[in-house]
Amino acid sequence: MSTLIYALQTAMKSIWNEKWINLLTVLSVSIGLLILSSFVTVTLNVDSALKRWAKGFGMVVYLDEDLTGKAENELKKLFLQDPDILEVRYISKEQAVRELRLSLGENASILDELDENPLPSSFELKLKRELLKPAVVKKKAEQISRLKGVEEVQYGEKWLSSLNTLSTILKTSAIFLGCAILVAIVFITYNTIKIFFYRRKDEIETLKLLGATRTFIRLPFLIEGLFIGIAGGLISAVALFGIHSMISFKGVEILPSIRTLMVAPPLQAYILIVLVGAVMSLTGSFIAVGRIRY
Amino acid sequence: MIQFSGVSKYYDGDVVLKDISFTIEKGELAYITGPSGAGKTTLLKLIYCAERPDTGQIVVAGWDVGKLKQGTIPFLRRNVGIVFQDFRLLFNKTVFDNIALALRIHDMQPREIKETVNNVLKDIRLKHKEHVFPQHLSGGEQQRIVIARAMVSRPTVLLADEPTGNLDMDTSRNIMGLFREINARGTTVLIATHNNALFHGTGRRVLYLNNTHIEKEAVG
Ligand SMILES: Nc1ncnc2c1ncn2[C@@H]1O[C@H](COP(=O)(O)OP(=O)(O)OP(=O)(O)O)[C@@H](O)[C@H]1O
Ligand SMILES: [Mg+2]
Repeated sequence: MSTLIYALQTAMKSIWNEKWINLLTVLSVSIGLLILSSFVTVTLNVDSALKRWAKGFGMVVYLDEDLTGKAENELKKLFLQDPDILEVRYISKEQAVRELRLSLGENASILDELDENPLPSSFELKLKRELLKPAVVKKKAEQISRLKGVEEVQYGEKWLSSLNTLSTILKTSAIFLGCAILVAIVFITYNTIKIFFYRRKDEIETLKLLGATRTFIRLPFLIEGLFIGIAGGLISAVALFGIHSMISFKGVEILPSIRTLMVAPPLQAYILIVLVGAVMSLTGSFIAVGRIRY
Repeated sequence: MIQFSGVSKYYDGDVVLKDISFTIEKGELAYITGPSGAGKTTLLKLIYCAERPDTGQIVVAGWDVGKLKQGTIPFLRRNVGIVFQDFRLLFNKTVFDNIALALRIHDMQPREIKETVNNVLKDIRLKHKEHVFPQHLSGGEQQRIVIARAMVSRPTVLLADEPTGNLDMDTSRNIMGLFREINARGTTVLIATHNNALFHGTGRRVLYLNNTHIEKEAVG
């Protein structure tokens, strides 16, 4: 217990005596964490936008021209029983024309020229979100198109695959950048603590000869590293909160729906930033102190 | 308390100590003497495990020093107070903190540390210098601080390497008096010195180290 108190005092003294290099280290750590956390926030936002978008994704199953009502009903039953399909909407020939009319707007009059309804009736299917991967959707579409009474299956193949690629790229680069920054934080703290350790080399040598345990020698350095990590984490958490608030306040003028669209980092995320800073800096100082040999 | 059996020590192939055997009993105050470079400091370093013997066995306060694991060495050293030939005072700490450090290492409560250090400062008559930094002290004063640091934790063994270095006769006598007091309280004391005057007429055991081995043993 006394050892811990003494280590705390020693660490605090060192933090104060070396305040400039410590400040610099804390700022470097906080910049690293800020870049990391902003990038993660952006990724989360883009990803959630993509997901929301994908939710609207549907597959249109056009039916054969001469299909009976009974056969149509059987198909519908089949779709409803399929666990992969979330929603089934039947669009009759008449409804299809109505919808087309609506989307054509003032040009709708061209439809009046036709004496027969050229549109087939169809089913609009919504697939489960987990299945929205290009390969899976393609397979499903082929399966359905082989069913009797189905003329053609259409879905936004290109759109879906680019959406997926984008999401994958984002996540992969977030992981890579994240790892690089974590390593950088470890290294930044390592460097500073190593300097302190070398400066006190003679003192440490004497401590060893007086019977100090490894813990006694290490603890002040570890506490100082921990301080650097926590301080860096706190600063970047505050900065992230500030940036996020600023964007959501200023952004409203440009894009009014931004508040509902944007994913705010939850409280846990802020705690996580501090925690990550603490763990990484502690690791750095642990490596810096190294093995102590008597 | 300290037992050497057939101990040899080489530095880069050069023999410094060869086949050394002796025993210092519990509660004894003994001297090791010999010319400069005879290996007195090396012999003391073997006792507190700053050097390892190349052959032989060293037992100190029940510890087989040659076989100690890294993690155990601090616990041996807590039983051994050392007055270093080169002092090893910390110049960024006050006299008080230099002495207190030995107790902090022992995980002693701050209040107890204050009391113990103050007592020891009175013993060495340097209470009025407690807030001074070592570089502002005279050689004799620094020497007393080093002794105080070595004895404050009440070790079972006290090793003193040339504790009167280049001090005048009066100060030396003064310091030797401190060792007798520490010894009288039950600590085993081993003093290494090249100065015959220190042990002359003391009636204590003296080991003469010369030419890599203990040449003779006599009463001073
Ligand atoms: N770390 C070392 N590496 C190599 N040689 C060493 C080392 N330490 C001491 N020596 C050599 O070992 C011999 C004994 O040295 P030691 O310091 O034990 O002598 P000493 O009796 O204490 O001398 P002094 O009275 O001058 O203090 C010397 O020749 C010295 O040069
Ligand atoms: Mg010597």
